[in-house]
Amino acid sequence: MPGRLLTRSDQWLATANASHFFYVCDEVRKNNMATQLPTTNPPLVCWNCHERTIGTHFCPGCGKLLQLPQGSDYFAMFELPRKLWIEMGALEQKFLQLSWKIHPDNFVSATEQEREISLKRSSELNDAYRTLRDPIARVEYLLAIEGTRKNGESKQQAPPELLEEVFELNESLDELREAKAEGTDTASLRHRLEAAEKNFGGKLEKVDTELQAAAREWDQAIDSAADDVARRKAMGKLNELLNRRSYIRNLVVNVQKELL
Amino acid sequence: MGRIVGIDLGTTNSLVAYVDTQTGEPKCIPGPFGSTLCPSIVSIDPDGSIIVGEPARRRLLTQPERSIYSVKRLMGRGPSDVQSELKLFPFRIEPASNHVIRVKLGEKVFTPPEISSFILRELKNWAESYFGETVDRAVITVPAYFNDAQRQATKDAGKLAGLEVLRLVNEPTAAALAYGLHEKPAAAGGKVAVYDLGGGTFDISVLKLISTGEGDIYQVLSTNGDTHLGGDDIDNLLQAFVHEQILQHDQIDFSPHGELAQELRKALIDIKHQLSETTTAMLRFPLPNGNVFVHEFTRGELEALIRPVVDRTMGPVKQALADAQLEPSELDEVVLVGGATRTPLIRRTVQEFFDRKPHTELNPDEVVALGAAVQANILDKGVKDMLLLDVTPLSLGIETYGGAVAKVIPRNSTIPASAQELYTTGVDNQTGIDIHVLQGERELAKDCRSLARFTLRVPPAPAGLPRIEVRFLIDANGILQVAAKDLRTGEQHTIEVQPSYGLNDADIERMLEESIEYAEQDFAERQVIEARTEAESILLATAKALANPQAAQLPAAERQMVDASVAALQEAARGSDYKLIRRQIDELNHATEHLAELLMTSAVQTALEGKKLAEV
Repeated sequence: MPGRLLTRSDQWLATANASHFFYVCDEVRKNNMATQLPTTNPPLVCWNCHERTIGTHFCPGCGKLLQLPQGSDYFAMFELPRKLWIEMGALEQKFLQLSWKIHPDNFVSATEQEREISLKRSSELNDAYRTLRDPIARVEYLLAIEGTRKNGESKQQAPPELLEEVFELNESLDELREAKAEGTDTASLRHRLEAAEKNFGGKLEKVDTELQAAAREWDQAIDSAADDVARRKAMGKLNELLNRRSYIRNLVVNVQKELL
Repeated sequence: MGRIVGIDLGTTNSLVAYVDTQTGEPKCIPGPFGSTLCPSIVSIDPDGSIIVGEPARRRLLTQPERSIYSVKRLMGRGPSDVQSELKLFPFRIEPASNHVIRVKLGEKVFTPPEISSFILRELKNWAESYFGETVDRAVITVPAYFNDAQRQATKDAGKLAGLEVLRLVNEPTAAALAYGLHEKPAAAGGKVAVYDLGGGTFDISVLKLISTGEGDIYQVLSTNGDTHLGGDDIDNLLQAFVHEQILQHDQIDFSPHGELAQELRKALIDIKHQLSETTTAMLRFPLPNGNVFVHEFTRGELEALIRPVVDRTMGPVKQALADAQLEPSELDEVVLVGGATRTPLIRRTVQEFFDRKPHTELNPDEVVALGAAVQANILDKGVKDMLLLDVTPLSLGIETYGGAVAKVIPRNSTIPASAQELYTTGVDNQTGIDIHVLQGERELAKDCRSLARFTLRVPPAPAGLPRIEVRFLIDANGILQVAAKDLRTGEQHTIEVQPSYGLNDADIERMLEESIEYAEQDFAERQVIEARTEAESILLATAKALANPQAAQLPAAERQMVDASVAALQEAARGSDYKLIRRQIDELNHATEHLAELLMTSAVQTALEGKKLAEV
């Protein structure tokens, strides 16, 4: 029987907060439970030399590749604050530098455990770089780890002020499908849809500009160590813009598909 | 631990290479016929012995039902995918096959990974004879556009051949590595396109070369291709063209898979090769009715015929550039790889598209194997001065309601790459969740490549309560691994992923047992055959020498010794103790030393006779 696939944000939430696949070893977890100190960045014990360590990637004591600390996220992996403006050149540099050290090629003749850690960390590094490099994926990810994008949130509702235009567009799409099926002339319909595509394309650009502004607000809130209210406000705006963007983008893609 | 090699397991030819520890240069290893190319042809004798390479090529004509070429086209594919291939290639697929193709060769039936393993084993033998040491680990190249099943099948073939496959490397990436060594990329951040048209597969990869303080990084930005497009298709077009002509002129409609068709194909491949050098080539093909089919091909005619194949490569080229967000003019270098890129039309087309003269300095047949050897050396020594960051060629997706596909890892993601998906149940007390993993760019599951189906076990609970996290991981070989975890209990699920097309663990196990039998039998038989062949040639040479008038000068005692050694070797060669044969060969060699000297002196005298001193 098929199950239900939860949303992307859930997955990121699950990954970032609750369930890292590569937990620190059991010993550490027991340690944490005993001391009842669930901090966001729990002290890590090296799986190899069993020393407490502060290394992000390698144990300063024995030099072994460490498992990713619990509660670590893509920003932390690159030693970046949770801000949306990222200097791409520096991100790439860091990515290449870490790839050089963590890639499975380095561990071909290492123990199975080390090979496994390298494979997992290397895939995480690549996933993180792929996400942070893409401005939209970056915002989605940030919202997920900040807990703003929640379970199964409906993102496919038309923004109210667009309702009329969307209704018209859907009608034209239906007409075009019908005309295609019946083999009648589609030239004028195509013309109308092309105009609509341009119109919604413009709206998409506008949303992107607004997203950039909202991203700056978020970054300022972080920089000024603003209170929860200000942060939540910036988050809410980003979230709304993302929903709007994904809705308009779907429309544009649908129109483009029909026009092909 | 034995030696490590790099292997290019090709559709038409396969090669094995290593890095010379003295010079640090990669080198291809020649086989017993002196060539570094091992034709990817396998033939099975009635007694069960396996013949690979050049000797098998001859059998393609004399015993087509026992021989197979281009088996790479069948790797990782299901019976239903290969229907179109069957029209063009003489594969004899067993009708009983379900999830894996089985090919009939003579009385026996083999899977494509088994047949490929025979080729790999032959290359392993070449390398072992060359080094005088065992070879047990390899880096094997695959087309960049190979999907998970095709990669898994290649890895299985390596295992069956007794090789630990340390890494599968994409062919264009390997080629870039070999080129990078050959001529250091001029500028850091240089962008390179590798156009790789082999016998049966086409790849295009776009790479960025980055020099860091520690070494060079070859970062693949995008890749695209067609795993069923290559020089073979050019041959098919030529064959169909001539076939049609013969049908019209002589009313002969021969079976496309018979002996005559194979001979015609061979003749046409020669024509194709000639037309890369000259502008016309003459085909004279004797027909069973006594006529000879004569046709003068011009290069123009050939180009008109093969243009559809060349045009088909340009779609993937444009897509790869679009995915890398580059214009053709932004590439700093273009590299041509694969035998088919010797075709002038292809060189011209690529040059026009990129507006840049492509690199062809390295032998296009060898460059992929050389790159594989470089990567093998890096993995073996652990001392690295370069790193490959490759990508997955196809998006990984999961089937959702309504047969749609949710993409979880997009194509051109750097590998290793992973994705976590969270699942829950749809009805109360549901105990299993079916998951279907696919690869491809299309939106509907039925249009993508099915990789695997499996069922997640869930303890009974109200609908929507369970939280199962499934982790999909594409490793550095481009092969999928799946793990699942129940987030409520923290329990790890082991997932038995049954590949949709390919061998399961039990298949591999059984084949490994069989292949070990083959291996032992192979090794001993090969030694005997090689020793006998050598014995024959030395016996023949001795008989010729003894027939020479000069041999009369040999003292009687020595003559007796030679005769005794000859008899002993003849006796040994009738048996199958290859060590004894070798000993007798050495003995005969020793016994005939004086005889050889006598003949040599006489030969020199004969050569000098009648010549003026000044001419010597």
